[in-house]
Amino acid sequence: MIDKSAITQQYISYMLENGKKPVSIYAFSKILEISESEFYNFYSSFESIEKDIWNNLFVETVETLESDQTYQEYSSKDKLLAFYYMWVQKLRNNRSYIVAQKCQKSNSILFNNESLESFKNSFYKYLEQIIQEGVEKNEIKDRKFLTDKYAHGFWMQTLFILNYWIKDSSLNFEMTDAAIEKSVNLSFKLIADNALDSLVDFGKFIFQKTN
Amino acid sequence: MKDQESIPTSKLERTAHFVSTGVKIGGNYVKHYTQRLLNQDVTKEDLHKDNADDIYETLSHLKGSALKVAQMLSMDRGLLPKSYQDKFQLSQYSAPPLSGPLVTNTFIKSFGKIPSQIFDSFEIVASNAASIGQVHKATKNGKKLAIKIQYPGVANSITSDLRMVKPIAVRLVGLSTRDADKYFEEVETKLLEETDYQLELRRSIELSTACKHIENLHFPTYYPEFSSNRIITMDWLDGMHMVDFLATNPSKETRNKVGQALWDFYDFQVHTLKQVHADPHPGNFLFKEDGTVNIFDFGCIKVIPQDFYKAYFTLIDQSIYKDEAKVKQIYEELEMIHAEDSQKEIDFFFPLFKKMIDMLTLPFTVNEFDFGDDSYFGGIYQFTEDLSNMKEIKESKKARGSRHSLYINRTYYGLYHILFDLKSVVQTSKKLELV
Repeated sequence: MIDKSAITQQYISYMLENGKKPVSIYAFSKILEISESEFYNFYSSFESIEKDIWNNLFVETVETLESDQTYQEYSSKDKLLAFYYMWVQKLRNNRSYIVAQKCQKSNSILFNNESLESFKNSFYKYLEQIIQEGVEKNEIKDRKFLTDKYAHGFWMQTLFILNYWIKDSSLNFEMTDAAIEKSVNLSFKLIADNALDSLVDFGKFIFQKTN
Repeated sequence: MKDQESIPTSKLERTAHFVSTGVKIGGNYVKHYTQRLLNQDVTKEDLHKDNADDIYETLSHLKGSALKVAQMLSMDRGLLPKSYQDKFQLSQYSAPPLSGPLVTNTFIKSFGKIPSQIFDSFEIVASNAASIGQVHKATKNGKKLAIKIQYPGVANSITSDLRMVKPIAVRLVGLSTRDADKYFEEVETKLLEETDYQLELRRSIELSTACKHIENLHFPTYYPEFSSNRIITMDWLDGMHMVDFLATNPSKETRNKVGQALWDFYDFQVHTLKQVHADPHPGNFLFKEDGTVNIFDFGCIKVIPQDFYKAYFTLIDQSIYKDEAKVKQIYEELEMIHAEDSQKEIDFFFPLFKKMIDMLTLPFTVNEFDFGDDSYFGGIYQFTEDLSNMKEIKESKKARGSRHSLYINRTYYGLYHILFDLKSVVQTSKKLELV
């Protein structure tokens, strides 16, 4: 019986062995030993397979994390750290495919890559929860207008980590670990209550006074 | 322990930290000289204190090798003005810990298991920080264990960190750039060795086995099966840091007992094993009320080359100074004077080196030495102050002193200072066998 995961697996192997997409859905269905019409029961295009590959990696990561009791007790920052470490572990299994994708699309994997879209949407939902928790626990400062933008920042961070990992040539991707640790530390420092808030507050005060 | 809120992320950011320190130090000098113009009472101590504050502030924002260099500098306390010493001492105990998820991730990468699958209990919050890693407490089969975990990417950043620390270090200790190159290479090699946990594990087992017979010392058992490139597992040792130990007002006998154990430990390593635990800062020893010492952390081992050993320790024998040609030859072997030196330079440095060596080797020449003697340390301190003020030395661009002497001197400075702080009287009458 063919299913979605069999199709994605076959697609990845095809890409890795041939260095390019199958010429048509017809040709690919033949390899899968199903009819073209049957293929459309699962996917509408190669692009939707690619989107699914990224999204599956994300879903698997979160599932693994959420099954762990200690993860549930983590602070928002530690949750996100754990997410990145686990995600990068999962990426390892598909490194060749990802690196090949990157080469094919030159730098476009960094921004606006369509194949990352479903992953991005799921990630935003996941973040929403983490940010909300962080705000409730006073780990993250709730700022008018800005809070909604935090997720976007973390998405950029994710792309940064992905890019770093693709280029990382250190043993066991040790430098990626350092990059994750340091960048998450930094971003959480930025969104915590910090000097900037006091500055804005002081600015407002002076403004009121002088008026 | 509080998590540090951020670690400077990129090389650029780290550089920025150092640059601003440089600027601040510059500023402190300006401030110093302006104040001097207005007020004669401002002392050089004030300037040193300002500088030490700024440098420490910078270094405390950095991890890894920068912290290590701070430790190195603070080890050579004799070479540093007093106010730097106190500041740097701080860096020896605490550095900010890494996150729980990273600790877990390191275990998964090393063993494919999370800590709680390996140990009966594991404290995710680090109990203390080493300069390139941190230590966690765990238990297994009723045994308390200490698990040392290395920060990721340490080895990669050492070289670039050192390059940044260099100008500041050069300024601090007044080395010429050429001196610095030679010594920094030695430091870099040693630091890179310290990141090699497999090597450290092997050496720890070897050295602690070889030194097992020395009285009043304890070493942990190491567990290779729970160790990897980034993790070392050993027995958890109890005891007090030196400051806390001294705060309990240990008796004279206890202090002597502790001091003797440390002395014997180093004596045996230097003269018998010819390799030495070259990191005798107080954080690597834990003292107990009964006068025994726990020793761990064999990350920094200096193997003493035979030629160097022979030359260095021949100078302890005062009678050698009757034969000036021989002394000159030894000084040359130790790279303290060079064949191309002018007679004037030789005449200048010769007595200085003799005085320095006499001072440092004094404990070896007697049967019993009182390290609590203030005048001895005052003398060393005064001498190094004088040295750093001598025009001829400041202007000498030549490297003086073998690269090997760096860690050996550091070891003895460190040991002497611990013994000084302990105010121990030690039986030092070890017969040297020079082959």
